[in-house]
Amino acid sequence: MAMVELSIPPRSAYVGVVRLAVSSLARKAGLDEEVVDDLKIAVSEACTNAVEDTPGDDPISIRWMEEDDRVTIEIADRRPSSNAEDPLDTQGFSTRLTMSLALLESLVDSFELTAREGGGYCTRLVVNR
Amino acid sequence: MELGLDVRTVGSHSVVDVKGEIDVYTAPKLREKLIELVSQGSYDVVVNLEGVDFLDSTGLGVLVGALKRVKAHDGSLSLVCTQDKILKIFKITGLTKVFPIHGSVEEAIGGTD
Repeated sequence: MAMVELSIPPRSAYVGVVRLAVSSLARKAGLDEEVVDDLKIAVSEACTNAVEDTPGDDPISIRWMEEDDRVTIEIADRRPSSNAEDPLDTQGFSTRLTMSLALLESLVDSFELTAREGGGYCTRLVVNR
Repeated sequence: MELGLDVRTVGSHSVVDVKGEIDVYTAPKLREKLIELVSQGSYDVVVNLEGVDFLDSTGLGVLVGALKRVKAHDGSLSLVCTQDKILKIFKITGLTKVFPIHGSVEEAIGGTD
């Protein structure tokens, strides 16, 4: 299993860096260009949600794990909550987070958000090969 | 990572040609530009996404926010997009029902009159 780890400060400027790294790893792994595009969006969503809700300087770690039959990406943070809000705003439009979760659920084969021991959340994305 | 924003006036419409990646880092720049346009009295806006390589929920949130602003003035916000990878984002989030999406700027301007 090939594993690559990356840690970023919880700032919006670094989300693009993660996208670049993941798209490069995904191409190296031989994933189809459409899957690379989907993965870029899913990773961007997961990192954006982590960055938006991390108030301090706790870094966000991204772990890429490549196996014969699948690729798993874990995005781990120390945000205090996963911001459970109303899915619609006062005018009936979907909020950014609602759209983000819809994208995460449809762009990868498996999406899980779990609470971490010691605080924070882990977003787990799986793409079957 | 740069986001290019060029604004031109075509008839009664303001057309914003966007180039680059719209994400959590660059989206504020687009939001500010759209707010500025509406505050200057441009209520019929076309956002041309043909030069956009990447769009996620942050960019969608900005477009929805701009739509609400122009609607408050009985205006319109239409999009120009033919790229499958970008259209897919609008389909997944149900926004194809919210935004008129056109194949060209000319079509967008004709369609919102």
